Amino acid sequence: MFRNYVKIAFRSLMKNKLYSSINVFGLALGMACSLLIGLWVKDELSYNRFLNNAESIHYVRVNFPYNGETVTNTVTPGPLQEAIAKDVPEVAATTKINFSNEVLVKVGETTAKEKGHYATADFFGVFDLPALYGNPKAALAQPNQIVITRKLAEKFFPNGLALGKTLQLDNNKFYVVGAILENLPTNSTLQFDWLVNWKAYEQDWMKTWGNNSFQTFVRLKPNRIGGPTTLAQAEAAMATIYPRTAGKNFETGRPVLQPITDLHLYSDYKNGVSVGGRIEYVRIFSIVALFMLLIACINFMNLATAQSAMRAKEVGVRKVVGALRSSLIGQFLSESMLMSLLAIVLAVGLVWCVLPTFNTTFEKQLTLDLTEPALWLTILGLVLITGFLSGSYPALFLSSLQPIKIMKGKIQLSSGSAFSSPALFRRVLVVFQFSLSIFLIVGILAIGRQMNYLRTKNLGLDRENIVYLPLEGEIAQPKKVEAFRQEVMRQPAIASATTAMSLPVNVQSTSGDLKWDGKDPNLQTNVSCMFVGGDFTKTMNIKLVDGRDFRTDSPADSTNYLINEAAARLMAMKDPVGKNVQFWPGKGKIIGLMKDFHLNSLHQTIAPLILCFDSRNTSYLLVKTHAGQAPNAIAELEKLSKQFNPNYPFTYHFLDEEFESLYRAEQQVHILVNYFGMLAILISCLGLFALAAFTAEQRTKEIGVRKVLGASVTNIVGLLSKDFLKLVLIALVLSTPLAWWALSKWLETFAYREDLTWWIFGIAGVLAVLIAFLTVSYQSIKAAMMNPVKSLRTE
Amino acid sequence: MIQTINLQKLFSTEEVETTALNGINMDVKDGEFVAIMGPSGCGKSTLLNILGLLDNPSEGEYNFYGTEVAKMTERQRAQLRKGSIGFVFQSFNLIDELTVYENVELPLLYLKTPPDERKKRVEEALERMSIMHRRNHFPQQLSGGQQQRTAIARAVVAKPKLILADEPTGNLDSKNGEEVMKLLGELNDEGTTIIMVTHSPYDAGFAHRIVNLFDGKVVTENFHV
Repeated sequence: MFRNYVKIAFRSLMKNKLYSSINVFGLALGMACSLLIGLWVKDELSYNRFLNNAESIHYVRVNFPYNGETVTNTVTPGPLQEAIAKDVPEVAATTKINFSNEVLVKVGETTAKEKGHYATADFFGVFDLPALYGNPKAALAQPNQIVITRKLAEKFFPNGLALGKTLQLDNNKFYVVGAILENLPTNSTLQFDWLVNWKAYEQDWMKTWGNNSFQTFVRLKPNRIGGPTTLAQAEAAMATIYPRTAGKNFETGRPVLQPITDLHLYSDYKNGVSVGGRIEYVRIFSIVALFMLLIACINFMNLATAQSAMRAKEVGVRKVVGALRSSLIGQFLSESMLMSLLAIVLAVGLVWCVLPTFNTTFEKQLTLDLTEPALWLTILGLVLITGFLSGSYPALFLSSLQPIKIMKGKIQLSSGSAFSSPALFRRVLVVFQFSLSIFLIVGILAIGRQMNYLRTKNLGLDRENIVYLPLEGEIAQPKKVEAFRQEVMRQPAIASATTAMSLPVNVQSTSGDLKWDGKDPNLQTNVSCMFVGGDFTKTMNIKLVDGRDFRTDSPADSTNYLINEAAARLMAMKDPVGKNVQFWPGKGKIIGLMKDFHLNSLHQTIAPLILCFDSRNTSYLLVKTHAGQAPNAIAELEKLSKQFNPNYPFTYHFLDEEFESLYRAEQQVHILVNYFGMLAILISCLGLFALAAFTAEQRTKEIGVRKVLGASVTNIVGLLSKDFLKLVLIALVLSTPLAWWALSKWLETFAYREDLTWWIFGIAGVLAVLIAFLTVSYQSIKAAMMNPVKSLRTE
Repeated sequence: MIQTINLQKLFSTEEVETTALNGINMDVKDGEFVAIMGPSGCGKSTLLNILGLLDNPSEGEYNFYGTEVAKMTERQRAQLRKGSIGFVFQSFNLIDELTVYENVELPLLYLKTPPDERKKRVEEALERMSIMHRRNHFPQQLSGGQQQRTAIARAVVAKPKLILADEPTGNLDSKNGEEVMKLLGELNDEGTTIIMVTHSPYDAGFAHRIVNLFDGKVVTENFHV
């Protein structure tokens, strides 16, 4: 019997090639989108789960009360890790690491910058990472040994075993390779290629409670009662650490633990509690995946019910010769399963083709690993769910047809009455499909507009024509920084240069140490701060409202400050220039007031900023090139860099790239919404096209009669298109509030944004109507052009 | 044997109520060949559909080989129909996507007949209707007569007790029509009960008895001897 089903399914597929290809192709597109998003979601959810005992490893954050709210620090002070190890019995192991940075690694003539951490000795007590050679735990305990990954070993020691060999870090210390680890997977938040004992890095300032710069991890002991008890107990034990040991200024700190499996997706904290983060995008795209599948299934249902006129006779005959309803349901479900099986083959092929581009765009290494049982289960699940979803309505509808009516040719396949159930159902489906499509069109327009706003907004400083290079090696030496800068400024392609501790489009350092005359002792402040060199405002083209820039020939400037307008507002100073303030370098005067510029992404409002003058304590040289002279300037910089800093490879970046990278997640969302939006519209149009064909077919007699009575082609096209356009308009009305709500929510994450306007919805509506009209009009015109004699005879 | 007592069928829409059958009393004995005749709209096909368990009467009784079926659900009727009634239609009603062989095989598939037995019976039926040579053709590739022979093969393949034919020669030329009627006659000679709706007095001549309907009532019955 099943063979008979398959046979007939296959033959009817071949018989209606247009419908079948629309069906299979639409379904395959929907499945491919879902599969792709599914792979992405799976990867996002898998972060850190490869770790042994992942469930017992936690990341330590610290909550502080701040002006009535709680702020959560992502980084911790150095002494916290030791205090936890000593005082919290629930903790089996704890470690701290510095932020991963690229350091020059050298073996003989081979040099390259590689990411690594300095980590305390118990790192491997927390992270049980697989070792290929050596004993990583023992190696990390030694101050003169280094643990490296397979990638690094193969790169620097291509001809043999790296274990026991020596490599040099930062043109400075030599380390013996004590152990080699397997490479870390991409779904690991920890990404490094070397580890060296913390002691090689530690300085006195790292032993204070006031400086939060490190990442601390703990592994909790197993608990016989259950995990959460240990977590609560550990947090309770940690609550006493700050009051007991951190000193008066920091006694309010309370460490909180975040499971390491949540680290990637739940990075946002509000008022001391995790409120999400990247998980929002995972949720949004899971819904998008579901929607894409649903849109494709709706096509299938629509086309199948639409084709029922052709299938009705078969149903009648089968019933007359003895088919029960259940066997017909079985038949139609197996047909839709077959269709969805064909579609999945196509979908897997499609995913296979686009995966490399997807990986590049989204910085992933997703693979379609056909040896993985989970993938097969997903594929099977997709086939079954899609087959069932898309086949259920046709199966139930067609199998319910009365044989006697079909055989008499009296079956009304509901083309006539708009409210008979299959016709109404089809209309509801079309409305649903187009609502989703319009929602996505609005998303494309609104997100595109915001992205354009981000790209073009005047930040209050220049980001074009600015090249920056890391200050390292010789040119990082306090005595040489300024000499190097002066030499750079003498180059013809270079307009100006300055040094800075962080990039001015992404200022990360903050401090609560700013004091000024008349400050309310209860007011807690947190100002952004940065060490900069001479010509900072000139190079960055930041407008000075009052006062002057730092001058290298003014020794007093080492305790003078520049502030922005937000800082002046914070200190309630009307004319701040000349006023005294106290900050890290000491007591000094404000010598300049800068107009506010954006020092972080546009998600954040402009924070109060204080600049300290110190050309030694800096990490970057920022160089403004003359317009159109960037290639020359880079050549000049390379020459100078080789001359001043021969032991380091010359590296440079553009500031506007750094700025763009602040919105990487948004850009990815933008790309995804664009593609999926267009695909959703395409799939919907495929369905609408076929549905229009069906309607035209069903109304052949009506069209013939109307033409005989004098209707023109335009009248007929209008008549046939009107119904569909009405549906699209209903979809517009339904999707508008939903899109408004969702996009407003998204835009609220930006402190600076282009708010939604009515015309976005107008454009989306016009586009949807236009697309729908074009789709439908081909069929309508074809039907309208038909000779009425022929159409009446058909009937 | 089948028997109807005071069979009524009403078709109602919102505004109009039409009486299609109005008190039909009819007995058909095993092995009988009955022709139902009458003008268009007199209720012939409605009666045939009820007799074929495709539809229920609005009122009255219908005894089908000892079972009262007038109040049965579609599902129950479908179960009873399976294998016990064969249908032949004016428009053949073959499934276009299935070959001649597969069309004939269909009733046996629903009866879950084992494959060997199925093959044997389908081939017998095809031989009998002289269309064995066309077994792998699709309906559109056949002449009207061949299509109707296929339909008859499908009707008889499950060896039903009763064959219902609704104007079986209506779409055929006289030569093919004659052939089909002869086939039905032969089947009847072998013991199959046949009830046939027809407009053609010539075709009706093959039957033992002609029941004439008018306005949903039996007006005359003629017996051929």
